[in-house]
Amino acid sequence: MKKVQFTSKYSQYFFLAPQLLILLIFLYWPIVQTFRDAFTMQDAFGFGSQFAGFDNFLFIFSDPSYLTAFKFTLIYSFVITLITGSIGLLLAVQANGIMHGKNAYKTLLIWPYAIAPAVVGVMANYFFSERYGLLYSLFNNLWGFNWYEDVFDAYIYVIIAGSWKQISANFIFFLAGLQAIQKTVIEASIIDCKSNIRRFWTITFPLLMPTTFFLIIINITYAFFDTFGIIDTTTIGAPGSETKTLVYKAYIDGFRGLDLGSAGAQSIMMMLIVLIITIFQFRYIEGKIHYN
Amino acid sequence: MKKIISIFVLLISFTFTSNSYSKTEIHWWYGNSGFLGDVIIEIANRFNDSQDEYMVIPTGKGSYEDNMAATIAAFRAGDQPHYSQVYDAGAAIMVAQVKNGVVIGFEEMAEKYGISVDADNYIPGIKNFYADENGKMIGVPFNSSTCLMYANMDILNEVGIEEVPKTYEDFEAMAQKIADAGYIPLLQSHSPWIWTENFFSRHNLLMTDGNNGYDAVPTKTLFAETDAFVMHWSKVKEWYEKGWYGYKGRAWGDNQAPFTNGEAAFWFGSAASFGGMKGVLPNFTTNPILYWDSVTGGKEYPTFIGGAANWILNGHTEEEYKGLAKFIEFMGSPEMDLYYHNMTGYAAVTKGGIELAETINFYRTSPYHKAVGDQLGLEGSTIPGGYRAGNWPQIREVIYENVEPMLNGDMSVEKALGNMDKGSAKLLKQFAKTL
Repeated sequence: MKKVQFTSKYSQYFFLAPQLLILLIFLYWPIVQTFRDAFTMQDAFGFGSQFAGFDNFLFIFSDPSYLTAFKFTLIYSFVITLITGSIGLLLAVQANGIMHGKNAYKTLLIWPYAIAPAVVGVMANYFFSERYGLLYSLFNNLWGFNWYEDVFDAYIYVIIAGSWKQISANFIFFLAGLQAIQKTVIEASIIDCKSNIRRFWTITFPLLMPTTFFLIIINITYAFFDTFGIIDTTTIGAPGSETKTLVYKAYIDGFRGLDLGSAGAQSIMMMLIVLIITIFQFRYIEGKIHYN
Repeated sequence: MKKIISIFVLLISFTFTSNSYSKTEIHWWYGNSGFLGDVIIEIANRFNDSQDEYMVIPTGKGSYEDNMAATIAAFRAGDQPHYSQVYDAGAAIMVAQVKNGVVIGFEEMAEKYGISVDADNYIPGIKNFYADENGKMIGVPFNSSTCLMYANMDILNEVGIEEVPKTYEDFEAMAQKIADAGYIPLLQSHSPWIWTENFFSRHNLLMTDGNNGYDAVPTKTLFAETDAFVMHWSKVKEWYEKGWYGYKGRAWGDNQAPFTNGEAAFWFGSAASFGGMKGVLPNFTTNPILYWDSVTGGKEYPTFIGGAANWILNGHTEEEYKGLAKFIEFMGSPEMDLYYHNMTGYAAVTKGGIELAETINFYRTSPYHKAVGDQLGLEGSTIPGGYRAGNWPQIREVIYENVEPMLNGDMSVEKALGNMDKGSAKLLKQFAKTL
């Protein structure tokens, strides 16, 4: 076969250019801007810009509502990961096991994945509205639910709103993972062990580890970044600043409060957090997972 | 055949659009939506119909906050509109931008392009709110409201209350009666605006140091050290616990809904709020907002102007500014001022508009419109008619963040107000650095 080669030394750059340009304009340029904002003090219109050193960082760490947002984001991503992962897995195992109407179940369970977070938030709004909310009146009758002022209740509100759609994502990936497990392994294990549950935990679940690991990262990034639309359409961070995620807080300070220095510093903190989580996961969790 | 049709369509569309090509376009961005947004479009249409040279193109950007952010982003990208509506909390930021050449002050504009509406034609309280430290009017007053009390007269009749309360003391005397009948006695839609900023103006108290920022750049708010303010929120908390005051979160509409649906006796909202109630709620009145008799000794003081002004942005051609000057003139005419007042409930902002209203006996037929002028027209205040404090949109956020823990009992009133002061002081300091 004839080897295809570029005749010019530079033509590869030509083909790379569009992709690189997109990366530069939409990824690296904003990052450079963010660093510039984070280390300067300027007014809303960008005037009076002066080097501020770490002032913006000191400012956000002395802001109690930033620390609250930090705490909430950690709790939120942990709970969302746990809930969506476990329910997604449960549904996937059930859907994988049934004989009739498999496709109908699958389609119905995958559907919510297509809905944008902001739309999920608006729908959650109906369920949790004091005036006509089904869940509001149910919970209110049970324990006097009132998310306007109670922190725990507001948590429930945003956790339910945030989990619902993400369960579908978990479902799809777990189902794909289950179907990728070789039939022979399953059949061999049936001969060795009668208990369904034991077989699941000793054979199936370990084989699903790569999927689980992948989903943990996906879910955490989802809770960190993609829930913006949900928060903005449900609690808007209330009560206090108890349900503000870090992204939402950066948005409020940057685009509502018009304080780009503080928003820039917050963005850099988020970059650091993502970096740390990813390093931690690859070093300590991935080492214990077997990709067959 | 297809070809002929498309050429034909193209030709037709050219003949229709060529008209607008010859006109000078003036872009006006605004932060009102729904009915209020429709009225803005109608104003632009009327101007466009009134002459052939210029065309005002209004573009809604969402809320006040959205529009301000969009305007700033557009300016930084060199793509700003000619005219943009910015709300009260952003006034200090906009006034400070004259020196950077972002904003052109009204008076400078009037001088250069000959606007026949004089700055003194705008009523003083409103003019001063959007003026710089020398009293030069910068923003062009537009939708000017203040907070008012709406009362459901059917509920009051049912529980046997004959007179609408004037003071918080009056309210306390009747609240239990209303609650016993199964109604929410009181709701309000904006804790920072109604029960913070306008608490201070209504009681003739200073809200920040530096004479509300008019004499010097403010460094702190005076929330916790103002006894009357501490007393007020202690009372609010007490009412909340007794069921006299209902808190429905931060959303304006969630707090208004129970009143509009006839479940609440009183609601504090904006002068421009009654549009949505007419035809829904059969029997309601607009009244001046309550005050503490014990704080003012029986005297009533005017509240701050709320709402927004339009700001002229730099960076366009002379021809376009000439058109904008015409448009400002048009909007400042008594007829348009009264039209806007009538349609929306916002205060008439020009002396001409007020005179016209009196001449045609406007308030006899439109009772809802009167309270706003009455309240803003009160005299005797010794504090400035506004506040010049930067980062105010964020300070409002700080206020909200501390109101909820105070109501749910996580924080004492003193602690919450102290936190507001602390958060505000930091933000004010931050703003002072950028000046």
